[in-house]
Amino acid sequence: MELKTCGLTKQFGSKTAVKDLNITLTNGVYGLLGANGAGKTTLMRLLCNLQAPTSGQVFLGGKNIAGLGERYRALLGYLPQHFGYYPDFSALDFLLYVSALKGLEEKAARKKSKELLEAVGLSREAKQKIKTFSGGMKQRLGIAQAMLNDPHILILDEPTAGLDPKERVRFRNLISAFSKDRIVILSTHIVSDVEFVAEDIIMMKAGQVLHFGNPQEIVSEIDGKVWECTVPTDSAEKYAAAYNTSNLRHTGENRTVLRIIADRPPMKNAARVQPTLEDLYLFYFKGENKE
Amino acid sequence: MKMLILFELRKILSRRLALVTLVGMVLFSVLLSVSTYQNKYAFAPDGSQGSGKRAVEIDKKIAAQYEGILTDEKVQQMMNDFAPTSDLHGLNAAYLYQNAAQSAAFARFSDQNGNWNGLSVRDVFGQEQIKIGYVDGWLSTSRNMVRTFVLLAIAVILMLAPVFSGEYEGVDNLILTSRYGKTKCPIAKAAAGVLAALLAAVVAVACNLLFALVFYGTEGLDCSILFAPTDYVEGFIPFNITCGELIQYQILLAFTCTISLAGITLFLSAVSKNQIIALAASLAVFLFPVLLPIAETNPLFRLVGLLPIYHVLAVSLLSVEQMRSGMLYAVWAVPAAILFLGVGGAFSCRMFAKHQVS
Repeated sequence: MELKTCGLTKQFGSKTAVKDLNITLTNGVYGLLGANGAGKTTLMRLLCNLQAPTSGQVFLGGKNIAGLGERYRALLGYLPQHFGYYPDFSALDFLLYVSALKGLEEKAARKKSKELLEAVGLSREAKQKIKTFSGGMKQRLGIAQAMLNDPHILILDEPTAGLDPKERVRFRNLISAFSKDRIVILSTHIVSDVEFVAEDIIMMKAGQVLHFGNPQEIVSEIDGKVWECTVPTDSAEKYAAAYNTSNLRHTGENRTVLRIIADRPPMKNAARVQPTLEDLYLFYFKGENKE
Repeated sequence: MKMLILFELRKILSRRLALVTLVGMVLFSVLLSVSTYQNKYAFAPDGSQGSGKRAVEIDKKIAAQYEGILTDEKVQQMMNDFAPTSDLHGLNAAYLYQNAAQSAAFARFSDQNGNWNGLSVRDVFGQEQIKIGYVDGWLSTSRNMVRTFVLLAIAVILMLAPVFSGEYEGVDNLILTSRYGKTKCPIAKAAAGVLAALLAAVVAVACNLLFALVFYGTEGLDCSILFAPTDYVEGFIPFNITCGELIQYQILLAFTCTISLAGITLFLSAVSKNQIIALAASLAVFLFPVLLPIAETNPLFRLVGLLPIYHVLAVSLLSVEQMRSGMLYAVWAVPAAILFLGVGGAFSCRMFAKHQVS
């Protein structure tokens, strides 16, 4: 299966949210990274055919998704960043409703819904009304509904928002187990989630793709540019403000270790370290809000 | 599809505001029926009087004496039987109320003092054969129906305004990316909306009919609405139809209003950004026509009168014309309702399917 965008552009008035995007996605997990306003959500909506592109097209197996209609949507699972729900529906009822929308037979829908509620840790709350759910529980329900139809294309916008660390691990395992022979695209504000799960990273800025490749490949761009420096704690803030600092860790005895991204050693005692995806993110999005 | 319609029905009927309005409509209808019944009063020829059940019994007993086709002899008999026995102190006898039959006779055949005004049945009703009997109960039911059906229309708007617009608050993302989200789902929504509206209409009609049958029985359903107490003379329907036909027309118009409003509200729901806008727009479209200064005699009223509010207000639309077939012009509300529903339903489905999530 191949999902391909050709010259995909989406404008909202004078603002270009996605600009002339040409990417090809095959089976695998793709992590979408970018600051607020980078165009990630718009790209996901374009891929879901929730918004019509200003120009360009999205093709699935060589066919424009706009013309595929039900055949495309039957392959699709989508978790939006903010999704509505019916407060008086129970979790199970909500999944049964989405199952009906997805065309599942009632018996199969009930079985699948129960399985997914178990998988996202909501089986005990299956009959509770959604209005009693916490943010994390709603998010898990959202993940479950996206997977109801065993989608071949799973698009998840900020799936880990509101999940605690244990739930995030559960989610990562769920996606890893699910992703075989499927296209999974997920954006998250937690870079480490993408790092663990994604085989490829799509880094976006101002509606365009900055990087597209596996994490090791794209991180290699800042090889030799990440430094750890130990400075007196009382002057740590000054250094952090002066350099592109990705981390700051107190070690006691008035010493603080700074992780700095710079072309040259920022100070004499700077030690070169292995770059991470988060370092790369900060390298590109310094000064922008991390999403 | 059946599952989708059931889910959509559940969504519509589980909204608190819709439920409260429906329950409110039923309570209002019950209260109106009971209070109208309790407020009835009548004086018997022997001087005794009664209210509520006793008044209805008196009216029925008196009406039975004159039952049949209205003739000049019966008019004379009534004028004689109901002649005022005391000074009216300046009150116009046409507005004197002793009982339903007396009021109906005096409204047309009495002078200011309660004496015969010299008019014959033919002078008043032309060639029409007027069948008289106890019509007061069903005529007051007809009047109550107008009020209940206005509330029904508002309930329908409250129920259907969120059908599409409610989804724009986030669930549209999920619906429109699902297999049937742009095809069967909008149709299921529209179908469930119409079913819910019809269900509400059935409840409203059933409430009114049930209480009317319990309180007044079937007496008078085959009698003309034209020989009615004073209350129903001014500005009432000027055609010789029976009470039964009047009630049938009103029920038909309640359903045409419901169907028309379903079409209009579904369309506005699909094009509105949120529920409040859909609700306000639907209420405005429903209520606005009554502000137009167009009388029933104005040719333009033949079009304006087919808007849903006039279906439930009934009297104006039922007064437009009696066609050669004997049917009233109001039957045009049926094709009008089908048009409203067809256009509104089709466009709402299309608009929802084409909706761009923001």
